Amino acid sequence: MENSESLIDKIKAEKVKPIPKWKFSIKEKFISIIFIIALLFGGLSFSIILFAIQQLDFSLITHMTHSWLEFSLAILPFLWIILLVLFLVFAMLGIKNSKSGYKFSLSKLFLFNTSFSILIGTFFFISGGAGWLENKFAVNVASYESIQEKKEKMWNIPQEGYLAGTIKNINPIEFELESFQGKNWIINYENANKPGFMVLENGVEIKIIGKIISDNKFRADEIRPWGGSGRFRNSKGR
Amino acid sequence: MLVKEEVCKNLSDEEIIKKSLLEIDYFACLYNRYDKKLLRYIKRLSMTSEEEANDILQDSFIKIWRNINNYDSNLKFSSWVYRIVHNETVTHYRKNVSFGKNNTVKIDNSDNLDISEDDDAGNNEEHYILTHKVLQKMSLKYREVLVLSFLEKMSYTEISDVLKIPEGSVASRINRAKKMFKSIVEKENISINE
Repeated sequence: MENSESLIDKIKAEKVKPIPKWKFSIKEKFISIIFIIALLFGGLSFSIILFAIQQLDFSLITHMTHSWLEFSLAILPFLWIILLVLFLVFAMLGIKNSKSGYKFSLSKLFLFNTSFSILIGTFFFISGGAGWLENKFAVNVASYESIQEKKEKMWNIPQEGYLAGTIKNINPIEFELESFQGKNWIINYENANKPGFMVLENGVEIKIIGKIISDNKFRADEIRPWGGSGRFRNSKGR
Repeated sequence: MLVKEEVCKNLSDEEIIKKSLLEIDYFACLYNRYDKKLLRYIKRLSMTSEEEANDILQDSFIKIWRNINNYDSNLKFSSWVYRIVHNETVTHYRKNVSFGKNNTVKIDNSDNLDISEDDDAGNNEEHYILTHKVLQKMSLKYREVLVLSFLEKMSYTEISDVLKIPEGSVASRINRAKKMFKSIVEKENISINE
């Protein structure tokens, strides 16, 4: 008996049937969906990282007693950095396991996925979505400490020269400030530096570097808008 | 024979696939079209016996039949078939290695190598045997690219499709394999005229 005949006999005897086409297309679609979701979520994670970087306010770094590294480590959203890496890995696995994924080298796939996530993330950040998403997480996930919460903690150390809150009752020399923790302060801002675009008026949220004078009095040396440097503020400025 | 050879000859691979899905006997046409080449490839890759190579080939064709609906027509059918046969051979080879079996065939004469007329090396039997002796000493990772490139005469694109690695990786792997081949030749003091 010829080998081909014995093969056909075996297929017939064992009733081997071709796997239906739809099963393969479901697998392919599942891989594509995993890839797209991973890419999108990678983008969202990147936008929150951008949001955290914005909150660092680099213009104040030279005036700070804390080091840049210390400040960054305290505020950077490590959860989101880990998620970004995980989503990138998922996206790479997704594309690598697609029909033509093997044609691309790992470095090319990494470059493509990272660029795409950066693009989506930057767009989402500029549109103000990152702050909104971060806030949603903070409100709905009990154990999640938001960037804002971390930032508020860092800017409520008056004895080290950091204070933040909302302006109330302003006059040309002083204003009253209600800190985010609810304490009222009298701020002297006669000699304080502030960016030219910034307007100090009642209701504006600010952060201050300066020196504590007495129990509820503080001298401001540098004043900045609360939301980052103020150039990419979202609608709420927080 | 189930379907007459003349009928098979006039059909392309894709036409045979379509007909096989309606009438299984046509699948024998594909087997007969590729069996000699693939059998030779299995033996070159795993240095296994004729009997075992036939078993691997039959298992591979059952897998091809089971996955026939997954064949992507953007790929050359031969590349897709080689990919499945390659994977089956490697699985078989690794199983043998991990179970400590030594089913490799000693290469003392050309009987085990199945030299075909289209092999350039077929003109020089001694040269061919020595080449295979060196290949046998190489790791599978490097042996497979040399076999596909120089013995199966495949292009980088075809090798990339068979091994599912990027073309750039094929090129660098062939380059490394050539160096390895050369160093074995020098170390073992084998004389192969290029």
